[in-house]
Amino acid sequence: MQKLVSGAELNALQHKLQEGIDPNRPRLILCGDTGCRVCGSAEVEAALKESLEKWDLADKIEYKSTGCLGFCEKAPLLLIFPGAFFYQKVQPGDAPEIVEQTIRQGKVIERLLYTDPEDGSKISCAYDIPFYKYQNRMLLESSWHTDPLDIYDYLARGGYGALAMVLDTMEPQAVIDTLKEARLRGRGGAGFSTGLKWELCRAAKDEEKYIICNADEGDPGAFMDRSLLEGNPHAILEGMLIAGFAVGAKEGILYIRAEYPTAVAKIEEAICQARALGLLGNQILGTEFDFEIVISKGAGAFVCGEETSLIRAAEGGVGEPQQKPPYPAQKGYKGKPTVINNVETIANVAPLLKQGAVSYRAAGTAGSGGTKIFCLVGKSNNAGLIEVSFGTPLVDVIYGIGGGIKKGRRFKAVQTGGPSGGCLPASMLDLRIDFEEFAQAGSIIGSGGMIVMDEDTCIVDMARYFLDFLKHESCGKCFSCRVGIDRMLEILQKITLGLARESDLDLLEELAVTVREISLCGLGQTAPNQVLSSLRYFREEYLAHIRDRKCPASVCEALFHAPCQNSCPAGVDVPVYIAQISLEQYYEAYETIREKNPFPVVCGRVCHHPCESRCRREQIDEPLAIRMLKRFAGDYAAGLLAQGLARQLRAVPGGKKVAIIGAGPAGLTAAFYLCKKGYRVTVFEALPVAGGMLAVGIPAYRLPKEALNADVEAIKQDGVEIKTGLALGRDFTLQELKEQQYAAIYLAMGAHKSMPLGIPGEELKGVIPALALLKEINLGRDPGIKDKVVVVIGGGNAAVDAARSALRYGAKEVHLLYRRRKAEMPALEEEIGDALAEGVNLQCLVSPLSILGKNGSAEALQCMRIKPGGFEQDGRRKPLPEPGTEFVLPADIVVTAVGQSPDTGGTLEGSSVQTGANGTVSACPRSFNTDEAGVFAGGDCVSGPATVIEAIAQGRKGAAAIDRYLGGDGILRGDAETAEREFHREIIETPAAREIQVKLPLQERANNFAEVELPYETAAALREAARCLRCDVKTLAADDEDDDSDYCPPTDASRTFV
Amino acid sequence: MIEIRLNGQRVKVEEGVSVLDASRFYGVHIPTLCFLEGLSPYGGCRLCLVEIGKPGQSKLVTSCTYKVEEGLVVRTQSERVIKRRQMLLELYLATCPSSKIIQDLASKHHVTQVRFQPRHEDCILCGLCVRMCKEQMQGKAINFAHRGTERAVCTPFDKKSEECRLCGGCMYVCPACQARCQGPGAEEAICNACLNLPQPCLEHFDNAMCYMDPCVACELESKREHDVKGGKKA
Repeated sequence: MQKLVSGAELNALQHKLQEGIDPNRPRLILCGDTGCRVCGSAEVEAALKESLEKWDLADKIEYKSTGCLGFCEKAPLLLIFPGAFFYQKVQPGDAPEIVEQTIRQGKVIERLLYTDPEDGSKISCAYDIPFYKYQNRMLLESSWHTDPLDIYDYLARGGYGALAMVLDTMEPQAVIDTLKEARLRGRGGAGFSTGLKWELCRAAKDEEKYIICNADEGDPGAFMDRSLLEGNPHAILEGMLIAGFAVGAKEGILYIRAEYPTAVAKIEEAICQARALGLLGNQILGTEFDFEIVISKGAGAFVCGEETSLIRAAEGGVGEPQQKPPYPAQKGYKGKPTVINNVETIANVAPLLKQGAVSYRAAGTAGSGGTKIFCLVGKSNNAGLIEVSFGTPLVDVIYGIGGGIKKGRRFKAVQTGGPSGGCLPASMLDLRIDFEEFAQAGSIIGSGGMIVMDEDTCIVDMARYFLDFLKHESCGKCFSCRVGIDRMLEILQKITLGLARESDLDLLEELAVTVREISLCGLGQTAPNQVLSSLRYFREEYLAHIRDRKCPASVCEALFHAPCQNSCPAGVDVPVYIAQISLEQYYEAYETIREKNPFPVVCGRVCHHPCESRCRREQIDEPLAIRMLKRFAGDYAAGLLAQGLARQLRAVPGGKKVAIIGAGPAGLTAAFYLCKKGYRVTVFEALPVAGGMLAVGIPAYRLPKEALNADVEAIKQDGVEIKTGLALGRDFTLQELKEQQYAAIYLAMGAHKSMPLGIPGEELKGVIPALALLKEINLGRDPGIKDKVVVVIGGGNAAVDAARSALRYGAKEVHLLYRRRKAEMPALEEEIGDALAEGVNLQCLVSPLSILGKNGSAEALQCMRIKPGGFEQDGRRKPLPEPGTEFVLPADIVVTAVGQSPDTGGTLEGSSVQTGANGTVSACPRSFNTDEAGVFAGGDCVSGPATVIEAIAQGRKGAAAIDRYLGGDGILRGDAETAEREFHREIIETPAAREIQVKLPLQERANNFAEVELPYETAAALREAARCLRCDVKTLAADDEDDDSDYCPPTDASRTFV
Repeated sequence: MIEIRLNGQRVKVEEGVSVLDASRFYGVHIPTLCFLEGLSPYGGCRLCLVEIGKPGQSKLVTSCTYKVEEGLVVRTQSERVIKRRQMLLELYLATCPSSKIIQDLASKHHVTQVRFQPRHEDCILCGLCVRMCKEQMQGKAINFAHRGTERAVCTPFDKKSEECRLCGGCMYVCPACQARCQGPGAEEAICNACLNLPQPCLEHFDNAMCYMDPCVACELESKREHDVKGGKKA
C-alpha cells in the first residue's frame, strides 16, 4: 500500500475504485453478524461458495459477508443485488437453488421471500418490506454495501472523503459550527449537544487533548454500537479523526468492552489498514494534522459507560465516577481536556459533514437532527437493529417496523434506555422519538435499547430484574445508590412475594426519589427510573400484587398456583379439575369448577377461555383444550343430575333475605354462593326465562337450551328461588323490596340495550338491533327474515351470532360489514371462521353511511369503502373513509350490532343509586356498593358488556361483599385452599398434539339450531387431560432456581424511635 | 476571595475551598459521616448534601467535594435537603442500627422511624479507614474491592497484609463498628432505642471479641433468661 499524501490523491483513488464497480454485476450479500452466525450463516456461506465454484461463477459475481443487515428475527439473511432481493431464514440446503435460479436466471425463489403478515403476499425487494420501509437507515445502510474488513470498499463508497474535505477546506471552528447547526446530539443517552462539547474542549487551554470513543455498551438487549463497529469500523475511525482535528487532539482512545472480541478484532484490522494508507499517523493527507488511535479494552463494568468512570478505567484506575465539574472537556483523561463521545455519535460525524447540516437535520425534530439507532427486542414480531429519524412516532416503530406483538397478544409496555430507562404504556405510544418528549414521559431514549413487552410481562418483576442488574453493577461508592437500590429491590421482592403493604409503595417512591436526587453519577441518578415510571403508569398492577395478592401477568410464582387459574377472572382451579378428569373423577371435577363458577356446562361451551392463551403447554406444542375439558366434566355431571343420581348439597335456608335483580350469570352466581352461605335468596328476572344474556343473547347452536338449563337447575336445586317475568321499575321498586325485609339487594340487570349506529334511516322498518333479533329467535318467535337479504353491521360476537342465526332462519343472503380489517374483528376467531364456512359473506373495510328506505321499510344500505390509515395506540389501523367509493348494497333487513349498554332508564327512580356513562350503574369496583346502603351491583350493568366468565367472577365477589355487609366473614365456598397439589402421574413433556375439536358437518348445520361443536369422547378427554403439565405443583427444583430464595420474610420492619 | 450566597446571605470565601469548608467557616452546620479533617474528601456517604443553584434549576450535591464558584447559591437547610437527608439517615439506621454515631445523627435530625428491615451490618463503606491508612498512616494496607452490593474494604486478595502495622487507625475512625452504644449510664445523652432491637452481637459476632464491656444487650438477655427459668421453678 502506498501512503496517501494529499486530499487530491485520496479523491483520485476513490474515483479509480468507483469506476471499477459495475452496478449490474450480481452481488451476494450475506449477513455475517452474530445473530445470523448463530443461526448458521457460516454454513450458508460455505454452501454458497461451493455452489458458485460449481457453476464457475466465483469470479463473475461479487460476494460479501457484511455487518448486521438489521432484520435479526429472520436470520440468516441474504441480499442479492441488483434488485435488492431479500431472502430470509436461508439454510445451507438452499444455496444451490439460489445460485442456479436467482443468480444464473434472475428468478426469485418464493419460499425464501418475506411474507407480509397483513395480506399474506410475498415481498421480493428489501426496501418494500415494512420492517425497512418505515426506517431511515442513514448509518446502517452502508453496512449493506461495505465489507467491514476492506478499506478499499469503504473508500469506493466515498469513505474518508469527509476527512479529506475537512482537512483541505475547513477550519476546526467551521466543523464545530456545522455540527451545532445540524443539531447533532450525543447518542449515548444524555443527548448533550456534540458541537458544544467539542467547542468547550477546543476552548480549553492545553497543548495536550484527547478524543475518547465510548464503546462500552453494557445495557441488556442493546447491540447498536457493536453492530456499527463490526459493520463499518472505518466510519468510526473517520469520525474520531475529524473530532481530533476539530478539537485539536492528537490521540484518540477507543474504549471498548472486552466482551466484544469480534468488534475488537475488526477495529484493530481497520486501524492497521488506515495507518498503512497514511490516514492515521503523522501528517495525515499531507497536512500538519497528526492523529493516532489506541484501543483500550474494558473489563466489563456497566458503570464504566459513565464518562468519568470510563476515563478512570482507561487511565488504569478503578472505574469509579468523579464529581462534575470539572467536566471532561476541561479536565479529563490524564487531567487533560477530553471529548468523550458514544460510537453512534462518532459514526454520525462523517455522513453529516458530507451531506451538510441542512440536509442532515431535514430528518429530525427542532431539538435534534438525524436518526437514532435502536435495538428492537422482546415480544415484538420483528426483532432487530433499526434506525429511525428523530420525531418518528413510537407507534410506527412498534407496529410499523416491529410488526406488532408476537402471537397476536396485547401490547403492554415498551422499555427504553436499558436499566437507566423507564417503561412507557400503550397510552404513550403517540410519543415521538425525541430526547425531551421521552424524558417528560418518565423514560429516556438512552443508548437505544427498546424492549417490547406483552401482557405476559409482570411490570413489578421487570423493575425487580433491572434493579437486580444495577445492584451488582453500581460501583458502590455512593451509599444512596448502593444501599438505595438494594432496599428498593427488597421492597419489590416483598411485593412479588405478596408480603408488602400499601404503605410500602409510598416508601418505595420516596426512596426512589432520594436515590435519583442525591447519587453522584448517571447510574445512580437514573437507577430508580424503572421503578418511578412503572409506578406512574402501572400503579394498579403494583396494587394488585399488594391488595389482592395477585400477579395479573402470571409471573410472580409465589402469588398463584398455575397461569391458567390465575388468568381466569373467576379463578377456577383448572389444574386440579383436569387432574380429577384424568383420574376419571368426573363429578369431583364438576364440583371443583363449581367452587368458583356455578356454570360449568355453559362455560364449557361459550367461555372465551383466557386460560388457554396462558397455558404453558404452548411452549411445547399447543395449549390444552381447557374449555372442552370443562364441558366434558359439566356434561357428565349434567347427565347424572338429570337422572337424579347425583346428590346435591342443599344448604338449609334460614338466614337473612337477599334479593337479586337479574338472573344472568352475575346474578345467579351471587345467588348461588349466598345460598351456600345460608341466606334466603330470591332472584327476580324480567324475561320469561332465567339465564339473562345466556338465554336470549347466544344462539342455540352455540349454547343449547338444555345446557343452560342444566346449570340453572343445579343452582335452583341448591336452594335459589327464581321468579321470572318480574322487572325492576315495572313490577316492583327497590323501596318495596326493602319493605319486604330483604336485607341486601344485588343489581345484575346486564346490558340489554343496543347502541344506535347514528346514521340516517335507523327508524325504518326492517332495521333491528342484533340483540332484539337474537332474543326473538331464542324465545321461539319468528323474526320474519325468511328469504330476505340480511346485512349485519358490526364485528363483535353479537354480529357474528346474528349473521349465523339469520342464515339458519332461512335468510337468502347474509352480509357482514365491518369497518376495519378481518384480523381486527373483536369476535372470536373461531366463530368468524365458522360463519364464513357456513356462507356468511364478510365484507371488511366497509362503513355504512345511511339506510335507504321505501314506504317506511329498509331497502338498501349506502356504504363507503375504508382505507386502513396510520397506527392507533392499540396497533389497529385508523379507519379512513375513502370518498368516491360509495356504493349501495340492497338489504331487506339491517341488523345493527355496534355495542350494548345497560337499560337502566327509570328503573332506579326513587333510590339513591347513581348511574354513569351509557346508563351503567355506579358501584365501587372493590366493595360493589352503590350509593345506597345495602344495594350492591355487578356484572354487565356496572362494567358494560363483558364476557360470561367476567360476569361470573363479579357475581362471586358481589356475594362475598354482601356477606360481609350482612355481618359474615366474606369467605365463600372454595375460598380455602384444600386441593392437594402433587403429581399423581408422569408428566408428558414430549410433544403431544391437542385433541381435535370435532364439529357438526356443514350440511347438517343448515336450517337448524343443532349444536355445532361436538363433545370429546371419554378417551379423547382422558388423552387431553393427560397433557396437563401441572404447573401448580411447585417442585423443590423450581424453588431452588428462584433467585429470591435467600430473601427472608420480614418480621416487623417498622420500629419507632422516640 | 469570591462571593457566594449561603442560606440567603452573601459571604466572601476563599477560592478553591469546598462548600462544606465554607459553610463550617461561617458556622453553618452540615452533618457528615465520611468526612474527617486531615483526610481528602470522598463524597461517599452523601450526608453532607446541600442544594445549589437557583430555585427550579437547583440540584443536590455533596458539599465536601463541591468547590465554591463565584455567585454560587447554596442552601443547606432547604426542605428538599432535610427530606432527603432524613431518608438517608433512615437507610443508615436500618443498615447499622447499633452504631452510636448514626443513632445520634438520626436523633438530631428527627428521624423517628425505620421502615426497612434492620440488617446489622458492620460497615457503611464510608472509606474513612481506607483514607486514614493511606493518607495519615502511609500504610496503604486496605482498599475497596468488588463493586455494587459486594463492595467491601479489605486487604489485597483478602490475604494477611504485610503492609498493615496494626496501628488501629482504621478502627479509630470507623463510625459503624467501633463506637457502639454503651447503654444507659454512659456519659453522653443517648437515645436508648437500640435496647429495643434484637441482639446484634449474637447474630453477627458469634464468639468474637465484644467491644462493649459490659454489653447491655447481652446482660438484658441473660437476665431475661434467668427470670424465665426462675418463673418456671416457682
